[in-house]
Order: sequence, then structure tokens, then C-alpha cells
Amino acid sequence: MPARLLGRLQSEFAEAVLGGDGRAFARRLAGDPGLAQRRLALYRDAILANRAGALRAAFPVVARLVGDAFFEEAARLYGEESPPACADLNRHGATFPAFLAAYPHAAGLPWLADVARLEWAWQESLAAGDAPDLDFAALALVPEGEQARLRFRLHPGVRLVRSAWPVLSIWEANQPDRDGTPDRDEGPDAVIVWRQAQRVRLARLAPAEAAFVDDLARGAAIGAAGGAGEGWDFSATLARLAAHGMLCGFSVGDSATA
Amino acid sequence: MPARFAVRAPDPAKAGIGLRTPHFEALAGSRPALSFLEVHSENYFADGGPSLAWLERFRADYAVSLHGVGLSLGSADPLDAAHLSRLARLAERIEPALVSEHLCWSSIGGRHLNELLPLPYSEEVLEHVCGRVREVQDRLGRTILVENVSSYVQFASSTIPEGEFVAEVARRTGCGVLLDVNNAWINAANHGTDARAFIAAIDPATVGEIHLAGGEATPAGFVDTHGAAVFPEVWALFAETIARLGPVPTLVEWDTNIPPLEVLLAEAARADAILAAQAGARRVAA
Repeated sequence: MPARLLGRLQSEFAEAVLGGDGRAFARRLAGDPGLAQRRLALYRDAILANRAGALRAAFPVVARLVGDAFFEEAARLYGEESPPACADLNRHGATFPAFLAAYPHAAGLPWLADVARLEWAWQESLAAGDAPDLDFAALALVPEGEQARLRFRLHPGVRLVRSAWPVLSIWEANQPDRDGTPDRDEGPDAVIVWRQAQRVRLARLAPAEAAFVDDLARGAAIGAAGGAGEGWDFSATLARLAAHGMLCGFSVGDSATA
Repeated sequence: MPARFAVRAPDPAKAGIGLRTPHFEALAGSRPALSFLEVHSENYFADGGPSLAWLERFRADYAVSLHGVGLSLGSADPLDAAHLSRLARLAERIEPALVSEHLCWSSIGGRHLNELLPLPYSEEVLEHVCGRVREVQDRLGRTILVENVSSYVQFASSTIPEGEFVAEVARRTGCGVLLDVNNAWINAANHGTDARAFIAAIDPATVGEIHLAGGEATPAGFVDTHGAAVFPEVWALFAETIARLGPVPTLVEWDTNIPPLEVLLAEAARADAILAAQAGARRVAA
């Protein structure tokens, strides 16, 4: 069987298992065709369970909010619509939030997709590259006249998630040790997700703080970053970001240093 | 480039366990004597973060085995260069004692099924798979072990018994065999074939590792779930296999319904007893 024929056999196998027509394909298998068909269904069950398991691991709060039956069905449909794009199932789910946003059965849960976005941001933060701690000693040496030209580098694990819903309250209320009742029912959230000491953490940001983080992410110099001219003191925010390990380096002007 | 620390080798007279996230803390706290720790390579493909940090920490105390579940060695598609690069990057960072993959396929035409699917066993497929094993070994700069998979179906077009197919891949490419005794037993039970004949076909000198795991009996056949204790029949087959091969680094896999660490260690201790008895018998005979 040359590779071309092997490829055809494998494609037919995949179609029989995922497309659901095992009857015709069973003829290419040894033994009783009826048994072979039931055996193909074992593969189908395993593939769907693997996909759902990967999503369940990445989106535990969504799974808790909707319950097992809803989640399994959503996972199955999502797998049909957006099958895993690579061999690493840990990456399956990047577009699950968008799927949920358009999923008719989730229409009554308008915050669900945003909770999923927050959970995927958590996963991305977990797997992001490591980075050195901010060099405070070097930072202290930047002359005062140069400080407005400072550009900070955000840690690779920093993500910012904005929602019209109180997604952080919902997320916190649905952690394993909580009963699911959020401390807020309405109002927007801007959530910063970051990794410190190898743990992913989440915190709520005020709108001006979130705008400031956006500006830093774009590589803006401090003097041009958000909040300027609004009577808002960015230095406290900067100190908070630095203290929590959200910054991992800086440069002055165009010159890249620490 | 000199190694940062010596590459630890597994002790063939002791068992190892699969390293799983829920056990990180308990394992680091108790540091039980184990031959080696095995991880699914793909779970450490991240750019950074706690999983890799944990693995590097365990790497200082234990021999590590990287066990891939996604390379799709037997697919008719070209090897996934990005996947292979991530594996190479991980191997460079961890310097594992063992690297293994499955004799199976899991993707075709860019479609990822993420399941270890069986191959038809024929001369042409054998040559195809051997070419791919050579490609991987060349890229990694080392030999790998290839594992026999469990299967629920057999292809009508197969012309070579599975044991001979596995043995021949090792003979032609110089790779080693990761002999999964549970898979051998499950396949024999599912297909009415002989697990002992399968194992007898493998050259003992090529077996670099053994796997044990638990499965589940369903009305349609035995399923390889890695979610339960090892079957009694599989323990018996393991003891026979060790009597033939001598002690080989042996892993107890438990990937779903993961039990407390003590339960897994008790399974490993049971394998230890069988390995140690055989090691002792061989010392007496010598």
C-alpha cells in the first residue's frame, strides 16, 4: 500500500469515525462488519471525549455555569465547526469564546462568551514565555528628565479582558470553593490577567488604568500614555504593575536596555 | 555544549510513574524512589510557565522520559515540522533519558483526530513508517522508542502480524521498542490474537521500556482508558515478559480519573516486586 493509498484509507477512516458513516467503511476492516462498526464508534466516543475534556480543562467556569449536558453538546458542535487545528489538544479552544457568542442556546447567558474569553486569557497567561524581573536598580538610574521617554515592556503573560458584564465577579464566584453567587450582578469589568511566581492571577482595573495598560502594550512612552491631562496620577498604577510582576523590562526613548 | 547536569538513566529494576499535574506538590514533598518520571511531551510545549518549571525541578532528581502522543508517525501526511520543532526544543531543554512516540497515526489531510489510531500492517506501510522514524531520529539527533498501540479494529489489507511489524521497524531504523504489555493484551482480547506470540516476535535487545496501564471492558470490546488499575491478566503477562526480557524500565500509566499519588505508587511498587524478583533471579543464576 503506497502512501497515496494509505492516505486514502486514513481519510476514509476519519470520515467514517467523524462523519458517522461507519457501515461502508467496515468492509475495509477485518472480522464481523457489525462488530467493526461498533468498534469504530469506540474511536468516535474517544475522540469526542478527548476534545470535550480539553475544553473542560480550559474552561472550568463556563462548564460549571452551563452544566454537563449543555457543555458536552456545545463541545461537540464546536469540534465540528472548528476541529482541533493541531496535534496539541491544549491549544483546542482558542475560538470557543467566539463560538459561544454566536451559539443560539447561550443567548440567554449574554456574559458567557466573555467569561470564556477570560478563561482563555488565563490559559494563554499560563503558557506564555518566562521573562526576567524588572530591574528596579537600573530603573532608579534613569535621570528624571528622561522618565517621560520610558517605555515599559509588559510580561508575556499579561492579558487584558474587557467586558460589559461583571466577568471577574462571575469568575471568582465560580471557583471550586465558592457557591456561584457573584458579588455584583451588573456593570462592566476590565480584568488584567498575569502570571507572578508561576501562578496566574486576575485583578480588576479602573478604566483609566486599563487604558494605561493598553498604551504600554502598544509601546507608548510614559509621557504619552493614557490618563495624561486628566488629572490622573499614573505613577501609582505604574508602581502597582511593577510590584505585581506585570512589567519585565524597559527602554528609554528608542534605545533598548534592561 | 556541556550538559548542565548528568542525564539520569532509569533503573531497570524499578518502576516509574506518569507525572501528572495533580501530583506535582505531593511528589515534590515526598520524593519517593522511582526509576523515572514520564510526561506527555505535548503538555510541555508551552513557551514557559509553571509546568516547565516543575518539570525542570523534577529533572534534577529523576530520570525523565518524554512520551509523545501527537507526532502522527504513521500518517500519510508529511511530518508536522512545527510539532517536531517543539519536541526538539523540549528535548534540548530537558535532556530526557528516553524519548518515545506511538506506532500509529492521529491526523490526515490536516484533520486532527487527536487519538492513537491503528495502521494497516503491510510492507509498504512498514517502509513509510521506517522513513518517518528515521526523519524524527535525524531531527532529534538520537534514537527514539516506538510504542505498540491498542486497537479496536484491524484492517483487511494487513498482511504482516503486528509483532513482526513492530520488530521490523526497530530492526530497520535502529529505534527501540516501548513495549506496552497492556496494549498487547487488549489487542489480543479484542481481535482473538495471541499476546504471547506478539511479544515473542519482538527482539528483547530492542526493548527500552515497558508500559502498564488499566483499561475498561465495554460490550463492544476492551478500551484502553489509562483510567483504572492494571488488569490481573496484564500483571501475569508482564511477569512472563520480564522473565523473558530481564528487568526493563517499566511505567505505570494513569491519565484519566487520576487517583491519589499513593494509589499510583502502590501500582508501581507491584511492578517493582516483579522487576526486583527477576533481577535477583538473574544475579543468582550468574
